[in-house]
Amino acid sequence: MSIYKIPVGPQHPAIKEAFQFNFELDGEIIVNVKPRLGFVHRGIEKGMELRSWVQGIYLSERICGICNVPHTTCYCIAVEKLHDVDVPKRAQYLRIIINELNRIHSHLLWLGVLGMELGFLTFYMYVWRDRERVMDLVELISGNRVTPSMNFIGGVVYDITPKMEMAIKKGMDYLEERTKYYKSVVLNEPTIKVRTENIGVLNKSAATDLCAVGPVARASDLKTDVRFDDPYSSYDEIPFNLVTYSYCDVFARVLVRVDEVLESINIIRECLDKLPSGPIMKKLKRTPPPGEFTVRVEAPRGELMYYVKSDGKENPYRVKIRTPTLANIPAVCEMLKGYHIADIPAIIASIDPCYCCTERMLFIDKARNKRWIWSHSQLRKYSLEWYENGGRR
Amino acid sequence: MRMGGDGELADPIISLIQILIFPGLIFLFILGLIFEWIDRKAFARFQNRIGPLYTGPRGFLQPLADFIKLLTKEDVTPRYVDKFLFNLLPGIAPVLPVFASFYLPLNGYPILHPFEGDLILIITLMTIYTITVFMAGWVSTNRFSSIGAARAILQFLGFEIPMFISLASVAIDSASLSITYIADHQPIPYILLQPLGFIIFLIALQAELERVPFDIPEAESEIVAGWLTEYSGPKLAFFRLSNNLMLVFGAGLTTAIFLGGGSGPILPPIIWYLIKMVFVVILSTILRTIFARLRIDQVLSGAWRYLIPLAILQLILAKFLAVLVM
Amino acid sequence: MLREILNHFLKKPITVKYPFERIEPAERYRGRHIFYIDRCVGCGLCERDCPAGAIKMVESDKTLNRRRPIFLLDRCIFCKQCERICPRAAIHLTQFYELASYSKDELVYSEEKTSKS
Repeated sequence: MSIYKIPVGPQHPAIKEAFQFNFELDGEIIVNVKPRLGFVHRGIEKGMELRSWVQGIYLSERICGICNVPHTTCYCIAVEKLHDVDVPKRAQYLRIIINELNRIHSHLLWLGVLGMELGFLTFYMYVWRDRERVMDLVELISGNRVTPSMNFIGGVVYDITPKMEMAIKKGMDYLEERTKYYKSVVLNEPTIKVRTENIGVLNKSAATDLCAVGPVARASDLKTDVRFDDPYSSYDEIPFNLVTYSYCDVFARVLVRVDEVLESINIIRECLDKLPSGPIMKKLKRTPPPGEFTVRVEAPRGELMYYVKSDGKENPYRVKIRTPTLANIPAVCEMLKGYHIADIPAIIASIDPCYCCTERMLFIDKARNKRWIWSHSQLRKYSLEWYENGGRR
Repeated sequence: MRMGGDGELADPIISLIQILIFPGLIFLFILGLIFEWIDRKAFARFQNRIGPLYTGPRGFLQPLADFIKLLTKEDVTPRYVDKFLFNLLPGIAPVLPVFASFYLPLNGYPILHPFEGDLILIITLMTIYTITVFMAGWVSTNRFSSIGAARAILQFLGFEIPMFISLASVAIDSASLSITYIADHQPIPYILLQPLGFIIFLIALQAELERVPFDIPEAESEIVAGWLTEYSGPKLAFFRLSNNLMLVFGAGLTTAIFLGGGSGPILPPIIWYLIKMVFVVILSTILRTIFARLRIDQVLSGAWRYLIPLAILQLILAKFLAVLVM
Repeated sequence: MLREILNHFLKKPITVKYPFERIEPAERYRGRHIFYIDRCVGCGLCERDCPAGAIKMVESDKTLNRRRPIFLLDRCIFCKQCERICPRAAIHLTQFYELASYSKDELVYSEEKTSKS
């Protein structure tokens, strides 16, 4: 039994961002996986330390292109907790609406990408056509199709007029019909089922041990969802279901995400019906008082965590971000063992990887008991010198 | 070459024109580009998009533009490949389907004189094409190409047999192994007499042409480009051309065997032949649109567990039919 | 799925043939800035708050503090923070988005408009 090593990444058509998984194969079966991250590190946590609190909102939004709304929501909630204020009710409901629109957008994007990984281009084209509807709605509310920049410290920036509410409701009806059609395609199409059933199985105990988060955990029958466990921004006032499936394979993850889209559509409708009137922003001081806070929100990919520490100055003292994809990497390494090469794109795609979110790095020097982080330019300078010196020192 | 022509000197010139222009090399080349255009446009329209648009009227010249563009690109040869084979294989690959197409009765009568057994010759040429694909991947000394080459041969193991059996059932029914004879003597086209055989042949053809759901050897999202990975520039142009020519040949073979060749009222046989070939191409595009890609072990197990027994069933039914007719 | 694709064959494609056909952006779309020189006081809040460093204050004799902003559109992320923070509503983002150009000089927006026009 000879081991055949194959690297997937950092450039590969299967993946949208640069990462590397080193596979060890026996014929066509995967025996071991070694992930290697760090290709997309941008020095964001250091960047936050160099910028003011308000500028930090926009920086956190640009960590991820697809799940940008949870990043701003988490950051703003953390800073508001430092100020020790509650935002107005209307702002909280608007935050729910824009978060759920972003969730629908992210899941539809993922569904299309899964179709492309499986070679099903038609499905991919249809789903992305319907995703345009969501982006049009976000553009209507906030002015930009993908990064709405709607959250601000103290509330939200844009309000919804009654005309926009009508447009959103019509959009939701259209999306519900199309999502139900895609659910029926996924459930009935034999070529999809045969590529996703019993592939990438992660049973419940392994999911708990490896700390899987988000739809990956919910597809392995774990009832974890930050919106239920630790409600933020008035999520406890909107009734909705926690979607779990117990098949633990890629098929279950597809179904979890499709059902979450349907749940999000219902949440948005409820929010629009119950939208309270009032102000949408509470004016706060430019710098929060000293303190530290950890806030979790439910991004489309799982649990997103921000730790924010302030020492009363213009810039944050420290911002630490833990994104859901990082938590899912050990799980995906476990999921891949024992399956074929041809299953690699499907399994990796099923955790909804977002590597640009993932890359955070902390230098720990045990001997001298120091820890520090670098900015992008420092990292670049270091890597150029390292390679000029011939690689190994 | 026709036997017993008008004059001794007119014959070679007519044959030369037939081989080179119509229905020979240039005609097949143009037909390959036209079929690629039909395939891409239909694929796009099924997906609610436009497809090629700007080059030529409605994007008609896009396949030609792609071919010329690839010819002008840089040709990168990796260091450790077997240079002789690496350079030779893109030249062999288009020749095989062209040679096989010379036996198809495109204008009512093929270019090369038909004989009993030219069906078997054509099957052999298709086998050699698959071996060419395998060698192209193997000689590239690239991890991804070797996997693609191995998958091509595995897929071939699954599909050669059902294809051959379904062709054999037609041959038994018409008591001949000559394509021209089968095409000419179909009072009722075999698609109606042997529908099971037609379906099996269509599926096997989709695998032979490496189109979805069987495009595993060059699965883009898994192994970069499979056996085609290391070929660039003119070599890639010729492999893509061979892909198109195989589509032309596959459609032509299906028409001759199952749809009655060029038979039809009023119009000349070449026009009917082309119409039927376009019909087969659109059927193949529909199959490409509605399915996802399968995995190689699923393809093999499906082929050996379902297709081959069904093909044998068709063979038995065909023998029954032949006995009844006699 | 088969019925769906055959239906689509007869429908009009959803592709918009830009630039021959255009989609109108939404009302709140964030495009290029408009700057009203007669409202500006030269406080510099826009330069301080811009997350991308896309606003630079330059000398001008038309404002109270003898400065006015110019906008470096190649750094701008179109977040509208400058419009929000300006105490005199001197900056407004319009819907104009076709901003590609061949040279960096064209991407420095320094036109001065007056709010009467």
